[in-house]
Amino acid sequence: MRPGRKNYRRDDLFSMNLLKINFHEAFRSLWSSRQRSLLALIGIVIGIGSVIAMVSIGSIVQQESIRQFKDMGVDIISIRKSYGGETRYEFRTDVVMKIPAESRYIQEVAPYVNSGTEYYSGRAKTNMEQMGVTASFFSINKLQIREGRLLSELDQNRYYCVIGKELADFLRQNGTSPPLGSRIMANDRAFTVVGILDQSAEGGLRPYGINKGMLIPLSTAVRTFQNAEINTIMARVGADVPAERIKADVQDFFQKKSRGAQVEITSAEELIERMKKQMQMFSLLLGAIGSIALIVGGIGVMNVMLISVTERKSEIGLRRALGAQQGDIQSQFLIESIILCLAGGIIGIVLGIGISYLFAYFSKWQFVMSFSSVILGFGVSTVVGIFCGFYPARTASRLDPIKALRS
Amino acid sequence: MNDLMLDIADIRKSYRVGPTEVNVLKGINLSVERGEFLAVIGPSGSGKSTLMHMLGLLEKPDTGTYHIDGARVVYDDDRVLSTMRNRKIGFVFQQYHLLPKLTALENVGVPLTYRGIRVGEIKKMGMEFLTKVDIQSRANHRPNEMSGGQQQRVAIARALIGSPAIILADEPTGALDKKTGEEIMELFQRLHRDEGITIVIITHNPELAEQCGRAVKIIDGMIYSA
Repeated sequence: MRPGRKNYRRDDLFSMNLLKINFHEAFRSLWSSRQRSLLALIGIVIGIGSVIAMVSIGSIVQQESIRQFKDMGVDIISIRKSYGGETRYEFRTDVVMKIPAESRYIQEVAPYVNSGTEYYSGRAKTNMEQMGVTASFFSINKLQIREGRLLSELDQNRYYCVIGKELADFLRQNGTSPPLGSRIMANDRAFTVVGILDQSAEGGLRPYGINKGMLIPLSTAVRTFQNAEINTIMARVGADVPAERIKADVQDFFQKKSRGAQVEITSAEELIERMKKQMQMFSLLLGAIGSIALIVGGIGVMNVMLISVTERKSEIGLRRALGAQQGDIQSQFLIESIILCLAGGIIGIVLGIGISYLFAYFSKWQFVMSFSSVILGFGVSTVVGIFCGFYPARTASRLDPIKALRS
Repeated sequence: MNDLMLDIADIRKSYRVGPTEVNVLKGINLSVERGEFLAVIGPSGSGKSTLMHMLGLLEKPDTGTYHIDGARVVYDDDRVLSTMRNRKIGFVFQQYHLLPKLTALENVGVPLTYRGIRVGEIKKMGMEFLTKVDIQSRANHRPNEMSGGQQQRVAIARALIGSPAIILADEPTGALDKKTGEEIMELFQRLHRDEGITIVIITHNPELAEQCGRAVKIIDGMIYSA
């Protein structure tokens, strides 16, 4: 037996006190070289901040797009001409309107044509979306009237229009007041405004630009538009019908009407799935960028810790002479590195949430705070702290006390 | 068991400098009794620093045995060795080696932090030991706000606080002017006389040695009685 050994084992229960002191010392030492600590933090702040912002924005966008779909209803599909077919087939209004009668699942259809143009009022100019629509278009897209009335089947071939809210605002600002009842020019023809719509949410299967739209009867549009081809048909289907059955059903219908006609069908559910997948890809990409920033930040922290070890060699030597074990020195530097990274992480989390809040604010979307991203931020910064502090801390603990003391 | 505080027997140490092997300590035998005040005198290059590091458990000898306070020193476990250093050795350095960012009171407490003592208790003991070396008025000053003599007093309090078996002082007056140096030596003498503390001073200065109870010389890696 070796004498003297047993008496010099330290009771590890006591090391809680040491841990407390180490925390205190770490704060003090980081504070005393705060300029350098701050510089080291920047990398971590940017890294964590971007990861948090990205994850948060990702979930905001996802929530928002799903909300839009839910708002419109998931029982909507869009039918599009397929450009892959050999023969060129055109949707004809009279044929299309027969779909609800002949199909088992489709309850209502809304074929439409659209053409983007510009509208001038004196010197002012705005983008305007001219759309030829049927009465069913309003109900399928859940468009609400604000003033006046909607278009009906009786308006066919007439020069009446219903305008979107943004276009109405533009008209008001440029002297056409009230817009309701006024006549606006498009394609060298005057249209009487019979209704103004409420603001409608964009996105999903809804056609783009309804808020800046001038909605006219489909038959009028077919006659006046230069390219009046119907490209898209929106349709409402019965609840709880599998997308596959609907597709087969619709495809059958067009095959019967015209051999070789191919259509593409997109359901809201499919679009949601596709968007979710896209968001995942997007998040992954953003996450990767954030991770690179984190790695750079981590290297910065490691560098600062190595400098700190070099600068404090004589302190390390002295502490060893006064009885610090290698493990004590190692944990001292490791704690310092973790605190540094956690501080950066907290600032980064705040920054990331702030950025995503601003993002939501400016795009007028609902801000969602993702708690998992906060936990992720804390976790990642601690891991970076341990990872990047380990090597410097080990170097410190392995220094020869005598050489360290002399430096 | 005799009443030896330190007992080293036939300790040898050599370093390899390039191709040549330099024998620094060539078989040192030295005993220090409990309560003794010993001076080790030697010119520079005599191996006195190495001896000091050896006595302070900072260096491992090639051969030989070392007993402190009756316990044999084992070198193969850092934790055991560090704890022994913490409990048995009180260092006083020529350059004081206080931690610049800590106050005098905090500096004095450093050895106790490695014993798992609560912060409040450490502060209380720190104050007690600062009072013992008459520097309590500077408790909240940092090293750069104190004179060399004051810093060395703080360092002595730090060496004493853990009630070590022995105080190892390496040229404790080397960086001080003559008058302050004398005051520090008086402090050592008082601690030795009143509290029976075992002190080993390592110096190149024979005048200091005269103020100690006993002196030995180290010349070229060997110990001779003065």
